[in-house]
Amino acid sequence: MIAPKKAAYQGNNPSHIMPSELIDRCIGSKIWVVMKGDKELVGTLRGFDVFVNMVLEDVTEYEITAEGNKRETHMDQILLNGNNIAVLVPGGRPEDG
Amino acid sequence: MLKQGAGLAEEDATVKEPLDLIRLSLDERIYVKLRGERELRGKLHAYDQHLNMILGEVEETITTVEIDDETYEEIIKTNKRAIPYLFVRGDGVILVSPPLRS
Amino acid sequence: MASTDGAPEAGSAKTPADFLKSIKGKPVVVKLNSGVDYRGILACLDGYMNIAMEQTEEYVNGQLKNKYGDAFIRGNNVLYISTVKS
Repeated sequence: MIAPKKAAYQGNNPSHIMPSELIDRCIGSKIWVVMKGDKELVGTLRGFDVFVNMVLEDVTEYEITAEGNKRETHMDQILLNGNNIAVLVPGGRPEDG
Repeated sequence: MLKQGAGLAEEDATVKEPLDLIRLSLDERIYVKLRGERELRGKLHAYDQHLNMILGEVEETITTVEIDDETYEEIIKTNKRAIPYLFVRGDGVILVSPPLRS
Repeated sequence: MASTDGAPEAGSAKTPADFLKSIKGKPVVVKLNSGVDYRGILACLDGYMNIAMEQTEEYVNGQLKNKYGDAFIRGNNVLYISTVKS
């Protein structure tokens, strides 16, 4: 049985679904995006396209500054270029609760 | 995809897609920011969709940051040189700014 | 039926194309992979994420470094485009 498509990701066994479908199921939920390089973002996924460019809402960006300090930036809504995405984790960052 | 309805230009001076900004700068002096802390200022003779460009009467500015061995201070140096005519490969381009229009 | 083509369903989802339509003419921040930010008014953009901006300000490490009347930003350098409260 395939779970209802638009349900928020609820930790079902995802092994039998396509990657794009996994992302599709995250729409409306928190998602943790790890970029190539040392940047990460967490936000609510609103949509995406075939390049995995993503519209995210209520976003926190985590980066390391030139001085080696951590910096968090909050943004209402962004379009994230899919080009430099390394990893997507449905549900957000564990440490953010 | 995201292509804006490129409809036949009602007016050539309008900016409907980003490359129009470049088209309107033909034969004008433009500023080009390149990867590797390089900047060019020159007259735009030609360009294509990759943003390959031919510039004339170019001033190239290269900025380097050196760390002083003793004080560890950052020393920012800019080197300029004049180049009569050059080809810019589009993949190195970060930003292009046309001259201020009034 | 669940589709597997990766296209979000219209209606509930806000696709990148929808987002871009909604922010034309609005103030935005464009962040590049290098970490440099450009703040200005979004004039237009294309499928490569090439961007034309007006009243553009360039910020490096949070410090204003340059201003451009108009600016074309080549899309391959773009990390994200963000809305801003004006």
